[in-house]
Amino acid sequence: MEEDPFDFESDVLLATSPIVAPNRRRKVIGLDDLLVDHYKEKNRVIERKSKLAKIKKTYNSDDEEDGRVAKLSKYMTQLSDEDDVSIWGLKVFGNKKSPPSFVFSNLPSCFLFRSFMGHGVNSLIELSTESGEMFFEGLLTNGWLLKLVYKCGEVEKPIATWTFHLMLYSSKEVLRTAAVNFWCAILLPKNEDELLFLKIDWLPSFSELKGALETYGFLLHSPLEDSSDAEMILGDSECTESTQNIVAWIKFVAACSQARKTHFIFSTSEAEELVVVIICLLLDRQLLGLSVDLNECMLSLVNFFTDDEWSSSCAKVAKSVALRVPYDINSLRAVDCIQAVCGHTKHLRSAIAFQILLGYFDKVEDEEDVIRQLTLINLKDKSCDLFKIYIYLVLTENWFLYNPTLKDKPLLNEMWGLYLRNCSCQINITDTRSYASKVRSKASYLLQGATDKS
Amino acid sequence: MGTKRRRRGDGGMEENTMAILDTSCFSKSTQHVADDRLSFLEAVRSGFLVPENASAPTNKMYKAIFQILKVENSLDLIMSSYQLLLELDKRFPQVSLSVAEKSESSSPSSPQRNELVVVEEAWSPFSFGPDVSSCEKQDLDKVGGSLDAIAFHLLIGDLAKVAEEANTKTLDSKPLRNMLLFQYLVNVLEGDFVPRNLAFSESFDWIYVRESLLNMILVSRKIAYKGLIQDCLSAIFELSQFSMDCSHDVRSPETKLEEVTGKRHTAFALALPEIVKCTCVAVQKLLLMIIELDSSKKAADMEGQTTRADGALDKPRLKLDMIVQYLLKYIPKTSVRTRRSNGSTNDSTFGGVLKCFSNGNSTKSIVKKISTEVAQLLLAQAFQAYISLPSQHSTEYKEDIAGNSLPEICNSMISAFTCLKKTNESKKL
Repeated sequence: MEEDPFDFESDVLLATSPIVAPNRRRKVIGLDDLLVDHYKEKNRVIERKSKLAKIKKTYNSDDEEDGRVAKLSKYMTQLSDEDDVSIWGLKVFGNKKSPPSFVFSNLPSCFLFRSFMGHGVNSLIELSTESGEMFFEGLLTNGWLLKLVYKCGEVEKPIATWTFHLMLYSSKEVLRTAAVNFWCAILLPKNEDELLFLKIDWLPSFSELKGALETYGFLLHSPLEDSSDAEMILGDSECTESTQNIVAWIKFVAACSQARKTHFIFSTSEAEELVVVIICLLLDRQLLGLSVDLNECMLSLVNFFTDDEWSSSCAKVAKSVALRVPYDINSLRAVDCIQAVCGHTKHLRSAIAFQILLGYFDKVEDEEDVIRQLTLINLKDKSCDLFKIYIYLVLTENWFLYNPTLKDKPLLNEMWGLYLRNCSCQINITDTRSYASKVRSKASYLLQGATDKS
Repeated sequence: MGTKRRRRGDGGMEENTMAILDTSCFSKSTQHVADDRLSFLEAVRSGFLVPENASAPTNKMYKAIFQILKVENSLDLIMSSYQLLLELDKRFPQVSLSVAEKSESSSPSSPQRNELVVVEEAWSPFSFGPDVSSCEKQDLDKVGGSLDAIAFHLLIGDLAKVAEEANTKTLDSKPLRNMLLFQYLVNVLEGDFVPRNLAFSESFDWIYVRESLLNMILVSRKIAYKGLIQDCLSAIFELSQFSMDCSHDVRSPETKLEEVTGKRHTAFALALPEIVKCTCVAVQKLLLMIIELDSSKKAADMEGQTTRADGALDKPRLKLDMIVQYLLKYIPKTSVRTRRSNGSTNDSTFGGVLKCFSNGNSTKSIVKKISTEVAQLLLAQAFQAYISLPSQHSTEYKEDIAGNSLPEICNSMISAFTCLKKTNESKKL
């Protein structure tokens, strides 16, 4: 609280001022000094004014100090209104269901099992139909099962279904991990020979993947809720337990999409649905720690499509995301969560940003319309919701940044520039509406970037 | 060695992007600060990763991102900074190999050599500056500079404690952050060491490897090499043990939770097994690199006398060799001939070891020293390593190291196990 309130102002201006642009290239450090001088000068003017105001009182330096502190604290309380920044986060998991039952008894019917029983070695391991599951779990976790199927050149159906079930529904971490590794290895063998020789008798279908999600309690069709409304504390540990398998699910989906060339597991429209699912998962804070896996899965999924397929699929995905995401801070997260590292993800990010932006306005159809609407907003109007403005700003930024074709549309770019200037200039530095400083600094930053390029 | 100066991003970009962080100094709410930091990471991402021809971020920016990874508590920020750093390293590698352009004068028959390109004055999460007194170092640590060898060693030590912490204490972001930090650092070491080692294997110029970050850490006098390896091993043991046991028994703290903490807790618990697994892989990677560094060092010692057929050692082969050596220690002296000469005798092969096991007496004496379970486990591991030996090396290669053909090995394997079982039964009686 001891800070000089005027320092504070100069800091903001220093950070955001568009005046920086023309001189910047010359010398960065020199410019700092220049600005500091400039604001010192400004401060002096203001101080002089305040002295004038106090001229009737006897001059006392403490008085002045108090005045400043008072002014600052007033300022801070106004600012603290802004403190309730919205936090993204949706609840994408509801009540879990009981997993489908699975009978191990099929396994002893497979060739691999019978050949064990028949072999002389069995005197050593004493395998029987009853102890079979334990034995096979051992084979799976220690990596022997994989070697055996490679050796046989075939993954028999009982083994495939059993490992698939373990992967998605087992509550034991060891088995889950081993089963995922097993599936990833048979879907994507490291060397080509194995790929040619390995026959997989059974592959899961899309409906089985979807079924697993429903078992975990994923709210597939119901609209997503804001997690702050839902009672999250309820059954916290239980929730964790049920969703631990989601890690396996995510990895498996990634492997399936990478194996498109050799194995047909889902169609393009099903893959579109999976992209939407992954985006929904990225909207849940509970899964934040899994973002590395989620992003990898997303990357595999979008590269499942050929370039031709993607242009129509991407639009479908974007529309579907725009329909599902609530129109608040979460709509920004839906865009931000997509790591635009390749052509397809960039395209997707831009498309989703645009679709959500469209969703904020009624009766707006094309690109020009949207931007025109934006430029018409009067930011000085006290009833103007700056939080919305901030969302528009970020969405439009993403829409432009990740879509290279927009560069060739001068009219759009000009209007976007106008909107940015409005945002950075029309909002006063002392504006205490929430998100005022955010909008202003974001817009100045973007303007700065634009002038840098030109 | 080629060097390259990185095209500097112009100061304006740095100034502007860093300014996003600066504004945080006067807003008191942590949420605001976190929000600003997220915007900063996003700005770096869009400014440097999105444009096709962008230059690398400046060192100041790298430092700021690394700082976020090092000290933040919010999972959101930890994850974003971690991923951003990985992506930046992928996009702007600091060390790389480039196929040297053929100079017209050199004879066309000479094989094309890769040239090592090192970015000069690039930011590094490691620092090997002159010795600073420990209190100074503490200060530096707080400001969040790069890590030195001691800090790296400490971090590995912390990894071993993760399991314990997760089981006893309320789960907070520290273990996760440490594990991700470690993974990132190993990634950096790998990105630096692998091309250097490759360049070394082609040119036999030790300087490439000597200047690698990994070597600089290991030769640092501030840490004990042996201690580091021990800590690596105990970390890998604790972590893999933890990931075996933990499924869903990470309990939420008993105290009444605030909503956000509750959610955070779930997020930690959900991510923990996966991150622990990845950390295990990272520790393994580190150990393997150390082993490779060692073998390169050996090769460099014998420079000129040895040529190695193929650069890197195979993992299964390493494993097999290690187990065979370990078992040999326990095999009764009678069966081991004096092995003064460097060349390996028949007994030091896997086949030889198995033969010892098929002999009832020698098995008994082995089991006296190490338990049956351990012997079985070691044999099984060795067998697995043996059959995973790359097939392209042909059976000839396998016989070369194992001294026996595959069916023979399988049979001795079976008889070894039978023998072990018998010994075990007789012991029970």
